[in-house]
Parts: sequence; structure tokens; C-alpha cells
Amino acid sequence: MIELVRETYRYRELIWALALKELKIRYKRSVLGFLWALLNPAFTMLVLTLVFSTLMRFPIPHYAIFLLSVLLPWTFFSQSLSYAVESIVTNGDLIKKVAVPKVVFPMAAIVSNIINLLLSLIPLALLVPLMRHPFYWTWLYLPVPLLALIIFTLGMTFFFAAANVYYRDVSHILQVVLSAWFYVTPIIYSLDFIPQKHQWIFKLNPIIYVINGFRLAVYYGKLPKAPSIIASFVCAFISLLIGYAIFRKYQDDFVFYV
Amino acid sequence: MFEPEMSSTAVTIRLENVTQRFRVIQERPDTLRELFSKFFRHQSSYHDFDAVKNVSLEVPPGQMLGIVGRNGSGKSTLLKVIAGVYRPTAGTVEVHGTLAPLIELGAGFHHELTGRENILLNGLLMGYSKREMLEREQRIIDFAEIGDFIDSPVKQYSSGMYMRLAFSVATEVDPQILVIDEILAVGDAGFQQKCFERIRNFKSAGKTIVLVTHDMSQIEEHCDRAILIEKGSIMADGPAAEVAELYRSSIALEVVGAH
Repeated sequence: MIELVRETYRYRELIWALALKELKIRYKRSVLGFLWALLNPAFTMLVLTLVFSTLMRFPIPHYAIFLLSVLLPWTFFSQSLSYAVESIVTNGDLIKKVAVPKVVFPMAAIVSNIINLLLSLIPLALLVPLMRHPFYWTWLYLPVPLLALIIFTLGMTFFFAAANVYYRDVSHILQVVLSAWFYVTPIIYSLDFIPQKHQWIFKLNPIIYVINGFRLAVYYGKLPKAPSIIASFVCAFISLLIGYAIFRKYQDDFVFYV
Repeated sequence: MFEPEMSSTAVTIRLENVTQRFRVIQERPDTLRELFSKFFRHQSSYHDFDAVKNVSLEVPPGQMLGIVGRNGSGKSTLLKVIAGVYRPTAGTVEVHGTLAPLIELGAGFHHELTGRENILLNGLLMGYSKREMLEREQRIIDFAEIGDFIDSPVKQYSSGMYMRLAFSVATEVDPQILVIDEILAVGDAGFQQKCFERIRNFKSAGKTIVLVTHDMSQIEEHCDRAILIEKGSIMADGPAAEVAELYRSSIALEVVGAH
């Protein structure tokens, strides 16, 4: 684990450059360029707001904010995974020709998606006053669930990126897992909708604690209780420990399979 | 990337009993379906093959070593072991000093990025810092003779420009060790001339160079020493001219034998 921190620090410039490269390529040849990182969530928000305030009415006030407060971190999670799962394989040519630490590739995928997530919070921050939803001071708490989310996502990306080197099915399986995971996580609904006696099943979902932190801070203006915060970091570090251990064990063999 | 180690030993590269094994998979189970069907049929569909077999080698600082051998003899694998791309199956590899790999020109280049962006990215990939790369940027551009194209995406470059830039990046970073695979066979005569001039400067600056090539005249002209690799083992090790001659005659023998 210390090794991971050291490598990250040592190769921070490379990770940053690779992340910027990814963003540049993603927005290259588009007239609006980087603006798309803002416009994309903005348009999603517009559609969601229209749909849920006119067509489908949930008994939740300001549903768009209720939804977006966790949809944006979820999007970060699922997009990071979708990008990072291929990161070793797509950089295969490079890995075969230059001695480069393999961790930089999934890391770069995460960093580029962190930038996207932060940018997408700007339109959300604009939407809150626009819908006359209170702007809570608890927004200041967001770096905490953000950190837990990044650590959790990092562990998962290490695992999936490594597994995908050996079996390319993994990237397809991941998509299935992600879409199922989306529905068992209280994103479009609230955990309160679930009967009390079944709630424990939902609480086995490791991402629920971190997601909860985002929603409480942005929508309810509250801070999560200590056990929930602890649970979010425990899940995050378990994910990182397992994911990184597996990645590290196999990283020297990636070059033979890419 | 190897740690640049400070050491008083009189070698820059030391390989001890290095073996690089590849698992050659006849029908590689690429998907889970294939894996399962293999599993139930209890077939082993691979064999192990040693591309480099028990090789020990020491290269003193300032030496220019040539590696010769037929296609598939294991030259390039050996070079990649030295460059740290492969971690050997057995044996130890020590490299003292910063190493620049010229295994394929422009391996780290991305087509959508400009020349300038690629210079930075490539340098970072080789383990240099951003500051070091920015300091050298102008010299890299000048040597490569890219001119105003430096701010265009490299996909618009001619292959000559592309190679000049790649060579320039790899050598301008001032490595202590340079490993070169075959790449000098490409490019026009003027560019080749320039490359070799730079390599001569490297040599006179006391740097260590390992060169893989099929061109025996390059070996004779530039190398101090050469090794002949056959089926993953060192068959001959000695002065460049002698090993080049040996290689020529072994090829000639084979050609005669074939007729």
C-alpha cells in the first residue's frame, strides 16, 4: 500500500499527463471542446428535471437534485471503471516497448474522470438555487465522501483492469454488473422506499455508504452519522487492498498477454 | 523503470543466468467460453519456450555492444530484458544508470497529440520529470528539424518527421545507457548519418550503448564488441569485427547448405 502511494507520487506528472491526454482526445475535434464536460451533465440535468417534474412525479420534492446528488458520483464510478478496465489492454503496445509502471494507466483513467466529476458539480451547484432548493453549508463536507469514492473506485479499477488482461470478457461482464448494480443502489429511489425488514440486504452493498454521504450533504443538508462514514472508508480500503494486491501480483505478466 | 543506482562497480549492465520463458499458446483461450471448454476437455494447449536461455553478460561503461543473430534468435527479447520491459523468468538483471530504450521509434507517441505534447509525454514515460523535458524541448525540436509542425498533431507528420522526432526525444534526454533495436535501418541517408553522428558523440562521452542489428557493417564500424545469439544462447562473444565475420560465414554456410 505504501508502495502504491510512493509510485503515485513518483509518477504524478506522468499520471497527470496521461489523464489530460485522455481528456484532450475525448474532446478533440469538437467545436466546444472542454465545455462538453460541463454541457453534458447540464443537458442530462435539464432532461431529468423536465421528465421528473412533469411526466413522472415522485413524492420527493426537487427530485432532480435528489437524483443528481448521487447520480453524478455514480457516473464517475461507472465511467472510471469502463475506461480503466481497458486501460492496460489499450496501452499494450506501449507496455511492450517501454518499461513503465502499469499502475499509471488505471490511475490516469480515474484522474481524468475526477476532473469530469468536479466539472459536473458546477451545473449542479447552479441548478440548486435555480430550483429554489436551499444551498446547504454541508456542501463543504463533500471532499470526504469524494475521497472514499475515489479510493473505492481505484480498488475496483485495479481488479477489473488486471482481470481484463487475461480474459477480455471481463469488460463485457463489467457492463452487466454495473447496470445491475445501478438498480440495487438507491440512486433513482430512496432507501426509505424499501420495507424496514429488507433494508439490511441493501446495506450489504459497499457503495451505498459513500453514496449516502453525497445525498445527505447536497439534498438534505445533513452530515452522515459516524458509523456510516466509517463504513464508507472501510469498504473503500477493503476494495483498494484487494484490488491492488491482485493487480500487483500479476502486473509483471501483463506484457505477455496484451 | 529501473532505479538509477549509484554504484562503484565497473559495469553498467549485468545479466546473470537470465532466462526468459514464453508460454506459446496454440489456441489461446481468449474468452471464458474457450476457457471452460478447455477445462472440461482437460487439454493443455501450450508449450513453454525459452527465448533467452541462461544468458550471463556484463557490459562495462562506455562500451558499445552489438547483438547479432538470425530472426527469432532472441536478440530483441534480450534487449527488452535489459530495457526492463520483461521481468525475466529466472536470473537477475542489474542496470546502473538511466536507460533510454529505442526499441520502436515513437512507441509512446499518440497520434492526436501535437509534437510538443508528445515530447513531454514520451519523456515522462521514460521516467524524466516535466521540468527536465521542458528544458530540453527546444533542443529536441531543433535536432529533429520539425519546425512549425511541432504544434500540429503527429498524425500529420511524414514518417521521416515522426522518426526524427522520436529519435531526438530518446537521445536528447541524455541517458547513460542507450539500447537500440534495428531502428537505424529506417529513414533516409541524411537522417541515418545524423543518428550515427549522435551515437558517436554518445560513445565519446563514455556512454554505454547496446545495438541490435542485421547490418554487419554497422557492427564493424561502430561497435567495440559483439555477441552472436542463437536459439536464445550466446554462441560467440568477442571483438565486433570477428563476431560479424563469424555471423557472415554462418549465414553463408547455411545458404550453401540449402543449395
